[in-house]
Amino acid sequence: MTEIKHHAYLFDATRCIDCRACMVACSVENNIEMDKTRIWVAGLGVTGEFPNLQRGTMVYHCMHCEHPDCMSACPVGAYTKAEDGPVIYNPDLCIGCRYCMNACPFGVPHFDYDKGLIEGAFIDKCTFCPQRIYNGQEPACVETCPTDALEYGERDELIAKAHARIAAHPDRYINHVYGEHENGGTSYLILSHVPFKDLGLPELPEEPINEVSETVMEMTIPFALSWGAVLTAVTVGVAAYDNKKKAAEEKKAEESK
Amino acid sequence: MKLNITLPKYLRIGLLPSILLALMGIAFVVAMMRYAFGIGAISDLSYAYPWGFWISFDLFTGVVISSGGFLMAGTVYILRIKEFEPLLRPSVLTAFLGYMMVAIALLVDLGQPLRIWYMMIHWNGTSVLLEIGICVMLYLTVLAIEFAPVVLEGVKLQKWAHLIHKFIMPFVILGVVLSTLHQSSLGSLLLIQPTKLHPLWWTSILPILFFTSAISVGISMIILESSLSSRYFQRGLETHLLAKLAKALPITLGVYLVIKFVDLAVAGDLHYLFTSGIMSVLFWAEIVIGVITPMIWFSIKKNRESASGLLTGAVITLLGLILNRFNVSWFGVKHPDPLTYIPTFMGNVDYFPTFPEVAVSIGIFSAGIMAFGLAAKYFPVFEAEHETEEAHQPAHGFQSVPTPGDD
Repeated sequence: MTEIKHHAYLFDATRCIDCRACMVACSVENNIEMDKTRIWVAGLGVTGEFPNLQRGTMVYHCMHCEHPDCMSACPVGAYTKAEDGPVIYNPDLCIGCRYCMNACPFGVPHFDYDKGLIEGAFIDKCTFCPQRIYNGQEPACVETCPTDALEYGERDELIAKAHARIAAHPDRYINHVYGEHENGGTSYLILSHVPFKDLGLPELPEEPINEVSETVMEMTIPFALSWGAVLTAVTVGVAAYDNKKKAAEEKKAEESK
Repeated sequence: MKLNITLPKYLRIGLLPSILLALMGIAFVVAMMRYAFGIGAISDLSYAYPWGFWISFDLFTGVVISSGGFLMAGTVYILRIKEFEPLLRPSVLTAFLGYMMVAIALLVDLGQPLRIWYMMIHWNGTSVLLEIGICVMLYLTVLAIEFAPVVLEGVKLQKWAHLIHKFIMPFVILGVVLSTLHQSSLGSLLLIQPTKLHPLWWTSILPILFFTSAISVGISMIILESSLSSRYFQRGLETHLLAKLAKALPITLGVYLVIKFVDLAVAGDLHYLFTSGIMSVLFWAEIVIGVITPMIWFSIKKNRESASGLLTGAVITLLGLILNRFNVSWFGVKHPDPLTYIPTFMGNVDYFPTFPEVAVSIGIFSAGIMAFGLAAKYFPVFEAEHETEEAHQPAHGFQSVPTPGDD
């Protein structure tokens, strides 16, 4: 197996049969309860007008963004973005503020709402199965998928594959690979036959959405220093004016004596 | 037969303190349940709504109503407008207690409360929440230093109080800088949610809007807290000072109003004002109650110069501007209206705070009121009054139940 430089997934909604084997595989592989799996499958029901009816099924998964918003938001830096793709969460640093859940436009990070102080309440999300991918195996969800709706590989190759598939069957797909550019690019790419909005995916710009807050954060320290300088200058100025006025008044009072 | 139970004097507490203590007790029990069984056991928070009432009320509202502290410190120390000095100490105390309440509430809300100090050593420079955390921690320290002279005077350590007073200026400046930063950063906190927050509220200038409205909230809080404590402790009300403050409100609110609407117009979001159903209603409610009504109310001289006029106006302003904080941090988040986000795969997509959740916040708030009362009773918080009004009635707030032995 060739070395993968940028790990990624490709999900093809037209191939998904809603069997949910990926959820079971994820649960077994990572030893997590079924209601807390790191992957969710949602049958979106029948859409369209008769006779052009369609069924959609969506597999929700950590998007492993190229510019992760969870990582940008986390105050203590519990998230890291590996150079080869995965977005990794480190429970040893997590303070449980849940800002990452707010920040993630896909609603991926999950929180242990049922854990008290002793067990410890943490965030959970897809790890990209490092125990498998770094040993030449596919992630558990991909390996178990019976219809190849989920595929795994080199990001660039998967994007090329997705476009080739659209070109081969332009009638079957919407001409767009979700995740190629969304939010600055993601490592979970999606092909669909129904509008992406119907799959519950947010409409995102090509620039990462954390750009605005990161720009504001960059301005913080220069702003704090200059605002502090202005306030100091005002303080000194007002004090000087005040003292002068007081001295003048005292002088006046003395003179009038 | 008349039942005659006499309690020792230190056990006699009035009605208000007893209610406050009961509310604190309920909150304590709920908090213990949360620590034992998890946040989900007592709240309606979910994957779709990781932040709810606690963040909207304790963090967003708690911080903004504490903004009077830096306003008064800046006015009295930096601008040297000494006539406002009687309002300084109560404002600093309110701010200190406000931030203490924020910190305590976060200890309930955080998943790992024992790790709250990690913010001091593990820094992620791109996180707005980190900035807020550090600012709040530092500002609490600054407020403690600003308030320390009052406590020291209370325990008759005038020398030490004097020493702190001598070196207070750097701390005052630091306090104003920190306040400016985190009051605005609370707005920046939502910048990362353009897909979740309704476009009526999401704008890249949220930090500026938050800071501008915080000034109006601070002024209203000073008016409210002076009015209430003057009633409770039966002391004189600085109506002439409050009237001067109230005069500033139409200006600060007007600036806020202009920025808000110009921004909406520039962003091309004006059509949402009438097309977003309940969101439009909430938006107009906050603008009409919190901005337009107070602007008119405080422009009328009669309202500014009567105690009840001041109080009414301040309460209206606070209600409207606090509604703004709730809108931004809760009501306006993840609405189904203009479909920018549909969390179809989330189980619980509706959020409504549970009783225990609200009880925690109410309990912590009660503790704040209690602490204010105790501090006002035992320390010279309203000290400037004592100097100007010699014939001032002794405060007897916390033993307000008259007993036969007292006469």
